[in-house]
Amino acid sequence: MSAWLTVGHLLPVLLLGAVTTLEVTAGSFVVATLIGLVLAILQRLDWRPLRVVIAIYVDVFRAIPVLTQLFIIYFGLTEIGIRLDPVPAAIVGFGINGGAYLTEVFRSGIGAVHQGQLEAAQMLGMTRLAALRIVILPQAMRVVLPPLGNFAIGLLKDTALASAVAAPELMFRARTLVDQTFLATQIFVTAAAIYLAMSLPLGFLTRRAEAHLSRGRR
Amino acid sequence: MTWEIFNDSMPELLVAAIGTLRMTAFAFLLAATLGLTLAFLRLAGGLAGRLALLYIEIVRGMPALTLLFLIYFGLVPAGIVLNSFLAAVVALGLNGAAYLAEVYRAGIQAVDSGQREAAQMLGLRRPQIMRDVILPQAVPIVLPPMGNYLVSLLKDTSIASLISAPELMLRSRDLAGTYYLPMEYYLLAGAMYLVMAWPMMYGARRLERHFARGRLQGGRT
Repeated sequence: MSAWLTVGHLLPVLLLGAVTTLEVTAGSFVVATLIGLVLAILQRLDWRPLRVVIAIYVDVFRAIPVLTQLFIIYFGLTEIGIRLDPVPAAIVGFGINGGAYLTEVFRSGIGAVHQGQLEAAQMLGMTRLAALRIVILPQAMRVVLPPLGNFAIGLLKDTALASAVAAPELMFRARTLVDQTFLATQIFVTAAAIYLAMSLPLGFLTRRAEAHLSRGRR
Repeated sequence: MTWEIFNDSMPELLVAAIGTLRMTAFAFLLAATLGLTLAFLRLAGGLAGRLALLYIEIVRGMPALTLLFLIYFGLVPAGIVLNSFLAAVVALGLNGAAYLAEVYRAGIQAVDSGQREAAQMLGLRRPQIMRDVILPQAVPIVLPPMGNYLVSLLKDTSIASLISAPELMLRSRDLAGTYYLPMEYYLLAGAMYLVMAWPMMYGARRLERHFARGRLQGGRT
């Protein structure tokens, strides 16, 4: 019982880690979304070499464990003189990895919008870019939101791997505390509970947004 | 000179890659069977169904790494000491079961309810209906996500290196540290994961297309 009381004292350290977890998640989410959105749009240009390069990026980064990618970025790049701090390295790693997934997500989202929408917008005198921004993307969001929400939840949990490159997030703090106190059970259970406390609301929000966007649709 | 080192360490890496595949296979078996059990419990409802849902929500809400550390380090005070390979199989299997349970449940529920009713009319008993009528039709729905799960499981086994389970990522880290060639060895490891994952990804895509085509044709006739 006293072991659990000790964990109570350690809770602020874990919560500090949880804040870093959220920072890494948010940073990687932004990077991944930007990469995914831009590449999905570029993929629609009729320029074959670009499409091939994007397809290779998507297939390669989805086939390699994100832990391997983190190690390449954090340890591997030092060999050629690029030394990133753990948190930026994690954001770059998860961002590039997630970008490959989200390229597919945005591609299918944009593809799901009826071709006639683009043609109608162009008939109204919109440029392709304006049509994309004002007509296509808002409609694609409906398709994209559920997988985007799932990606965010998966990302939140994946950031635990950043502990392997010493980013001071929740799992890293937990491991450090276990090394100091040997209270493995209590500390890891608490860490799991904190992850749950972050991921369950995220799942709830995703389902709410999904229900909201699909109103009036069947 | 670097290439000589590679030639020397290649056999070691290949052995490690087999460790990765073995871990993937065992964890997949555990996840597939436990996941099916959980799906049946959920569909049965009642207290068992609610407990199954609780398990699914909790396990899906935490990182696989946390579950792995809980099982490998957290069970030791309770007197349960697993070796790192077994701990990784159990953790990845328990984690995957929660995911596959939802896949199975969705697949079973996607089978038209008329099928169940017709089978009942024919006088089939409940286990028979499940085994002979519902499950065979759920298989095509369930196989593509199972294929995708297999690919992500293969990649997830890399986290087992963090508890020093013998697999590809651990061996790569050892070698990268020994020769101080992190870029080379991690790229090599990445390439080896590619070689293992691509056939699986290709297979999953084939399955998806195969069954999507079957459904379309079924709709037309």
